[in-house]
Amino acid sequence: MANTTPAVVMDNGTGFSKLGFAGNDSPSFVFPTAIATKSPSAGTGGSGSGRPAVANKPSFLTGGAGPGGHLSAKRGTEDLDYFIGDEAVAAANGPGYGLHYPIRHGQIENWDHMERFWSNSIFKYLRVEPEDHHFLLTEPPLNPPENRENTAEIFFESFNCAGLYIAVQAVLALAASWTSSKVQDRSLTGTVIDSGDGVTHVIPVAEGYVIGSSIKSIPIAGRDITYFVQSLLRDRGEPDSSLKTAQEIKEEYCYVCPDIVKEFAKYDRDRSRFLKHTITQPGGRQVTVDVGYERFMAPEIFFNPEIYSSDFLTPLPVVVDGVIQSSPIDVRRGLYKNIVLSGGSTLYKDFGRRLQRDIKQLVDTRIKASEVRSGGAKSGGLDVQVITHKRQRHGPWFGGSLLGQTPEFRSYCHTKAEYQEYGPSIVRRFALLGGPGGS
Amino acid sequence: MLLLDYQNVLIQAVLTERFAPGASPVNIDQTVSDFDGVVFHISTPESKTKILVSLQIRCFQDLVRYGAEQVLNREYADLVVPPEAGYDFSIQVDLENLPAEQEARDALVMKIALLKRNAMAAPFEQAYQEHYALKEEASKFTSEEAPQGVREGGEVKAIHYREEEAIYVKASHDRVTVIFSTIFREETDRVFGKVFIQEFVDARRRAIQNAPQVLFRNDPPLELQNVPGVKNTGTGEIGYVTFVLFPRHLTPQRMPDVISHIQTFRDYFHYHIKASKAYIHSRMRKRTADFLQVLRRARPDTEEKEKKTASGRTFKAGA
Amino acid sequence: MSQSLRPYLQAVRSSLTAALCLSNFASQTAERHNVPEVEARTSPEVLLTPLTIARNENERVLIEPSINSIRISIKIKQADEIEHILVHKFTRFLTQRAESFFILRRKPIKGYDISFLITNFHTEEMLKHKLVDFIIQFMEEVDKEISEMKLFLNARARFVAESFLTPFD
Repeated sequence: MANTTPAVVMDNGTGFSKLGFAGNDSPSFVFPTAIATKSPSAGTGGSGSGRPAVANKPSFLTGGAGPGGHLSAKRGTEDLDYFIGDEAVAAANGPGYGLHYPIRHGQIENWDHMERFWSNSIFKYLRVEPEDHHFLLTEPPLNPPENRENTAEIFFESFNCAGLYIAVQAVLALAASWTSSKVQDRSLTGTVIDSGDGVTHVIPVAEGYVIGSSIKSIPIAGRDITYFVQSLLRDRGEPDSSLKTAQEIKEEYCYVCPDIVKEFAKYDRDRSRFLKHTITQPGGRQVTVDVGYERFMAPEIFFNPEIYSSDFLTPLPVVVDGVIQSSPIDVRRGLYKNIVLSGGSTLYKDFGRRLQRDIKQLVDTRIKASEVRSGGAKSGGLDVQVITHKRQRHGPWFGGSLLGQTPEFRSYCHTKAEYQEYGPSIVRRFALLGGPGGS
Repeated sequence: MLLLDYQNVLIQAVLTERFAPGASPVNIDQTVSDFDGVVFHISTPESKTKILVSLQIRCFQDLVRYGAEQVLNREYADLVVPPEAGYDFSIQVDLENLPAEQEARDALVMKIALLKRNAMAAPFEQAYQEHYALKEEASKFTSEEAPQGVREGGEVKAIHYREEEAIYVKASHDRVTVIFSTIFREETDRVFGKVFIQEFVDARRRAIQNAPQVLFRNDPPLELQNVPGVKNTGTGEIGYVTFVLFPRHLTPQRMPDVISHIQTFRDYFHYHIKASKAYIHSRMRKRTADFLQVLRRARPDTEEKEKKTASGRTFKAGA
Repeated sequence: MSQSLRPYLQAVRSSLTAALCLSNFASQTAERHNVPEVEARTSPEVLLTPLTIARNENERVLIEPSINSIRISIKIKQADEIEHILVHKFTRFLTQRAESFFILRRKPIKGYDISFLITNFHTEEMLKHKLVDFIIQFMEEVDKEISEMKLFLNARARFVAESFLTPFD
């Protein structure tokens, strides 16, 4: 049966989880990677205060566990009483539930919570019998192999899934860029700029393998842009400067300008560039907020971090250039040629164009200097190309969906039988999906 | 989560969003899975306002034989369209032609999200009708002199809803019997499953007197003798879980709920086996951490600690 | 603690304490190698007589001493199919994490559920009586954990069954 059903693609990120079926062009569910559990003792994440409740212990935490309220009163079923995703956030606002985020910095920290998060994802939201489906999961670059083994242990032992493939997010993001018209050869070499809510990573990938030693992360991402917009609103004394408003303004009006000084001048000449944003506050009152320079100032913190942060001052193009320069010399050309954007914070208009221009400038300056030093030798030039495409927002998920529907995907998965034969260490190696020879 | 939902959450979510007043029509093209290898396809092939929902279900031939088309036509009446290529059944909703009230819209969403349930309901509904007819018939006789046909009840309806598992439904004048054949591919699941089923069997005796009677055996029950496709392998790897629905469950008022609920049995059963494994895992994680702590105590603190005096100067301990 | 468990554990404790008398001993068959003799089994003269302590036919401990290493194998009580599966799951879970357990052998000796291998290097850097404590505590807790998990499973099964059948009511 597992050979006819669509593969399940799950991309569990620090902030949001993207779940869906291979072959679709967008994830079926996108919700926070959050779990709300009952009982105050669970507030320590099940690790601090004693072992999980003993089964026969009478539980005073009733209700919420379905129609048999009187039944749940009798037995320890706290482990079934939880919510995930948006429901978790909603439940945590009420009494009795505590909210937890099982993934920190891209890596799974609390396996108990994560196992239950997956269980609910599969049975409540995706509604699949894991025995009938292959699963494609994602992991951050530099994920310890032990984490992979733990994941495999859960998927094979708890869920008995038919087959499992774990792919690195950056590699999937590269695969997602194949939909762009700019990409001619489906290579798995390139630089991935992955900017989510918490952190931005620059990850060089050569032929499907991450060059771990050259990865750089930047502590500026979506959340910082929101904070920056908020601070600008506050400075001007706008009537509403809540985080939510700042986020709406960021998502709706922001773009990247070619030159910040000229852009200021343009705004001063042309008052129509100033916009108004209307918010309906809870209670029905309508408030109007002016939207001004933050339209282009906010994303500018990627290119001129000094306007926002005092401890991180390297502009994104310089970081990207540095990452590629620190990679092996024989792949640098490929890395410059295929710079792929991924994640919600790369969606600003003209983000890619500005990045390409700035990196190109850095590269050209360096080539000029070396031409001068070599005394008259001419360089053939270096191709810099930043790829923007339609699936950027959920890049890794879409890449997974793309690869998960290929006919050979199933043969790349490890099956339950193989797991039992070799043990969990089998998931330390996966054949490269979509690599040379794949379709 | 304790009980599984009857409806498909994703279809519900997508349609609720599309049906919301003021939502602008967009292109949809999503393949969605449900339990038991059921595949849905939500798309907008003609125009953005016409949403086509198609269903593919492996036992559709079985279901048609037991009147699925009548049930589906009754439920979805004017929404039914010729099935999309590769699928078994399709309905189409026109966004420009929705009911005005919010409640009616929600009801429509729910009805579509229950597509799988409704398709699977046909044999059960037919069994209910047969039961009513047989009861009528049987009431004319005393139990001894009833003709053979009445005593034996209707034919067994087999629904091969999974590759290796099937549901059998049989009506008779005083009961409807629903039999699930189950198979476990893994040893742990088999053992856990046995514990769970034993409790299903015992539950009626102990707590819930009015529940259907549950029986379990490893060879085909008497009802399934001479049913094609049922083999007594003798190895006992296939189990048969029998639910006996009594007249109190068979009233027309309770029919929809009972049918919805009993359909979820297999997935409910498997979900809970997996959920208990997850719980056992979390116990083992905790216990392993405890053991490690005990072992760590065996290692004396040999590293020289840097100690500080009150004034902040440091010195080497024991030196 | 039940009446028969106490002497059983006491016997294991005394035997272990006596057996944990290890010294550094280089291999006699391979130059500049230092291997646990109990595993290598190349020099019969440095192996001591193995010892089995049994509480009943289902629970026993095998202690195999040698000059520089000792192997302890435990057979955990398994009264029925469920306990068998649970023991199997739990020991596999533990051996999967053998890396951090230092003295845990990745594969149990045939006929036993879990094995430990303690070498002289372990006793040199860890306290001997604490290691014995660990083994004893392990034996105590494992039994408790298995029976608690079994209780849980039964309770959960009952709860699940009743929850499913209640809506029919």
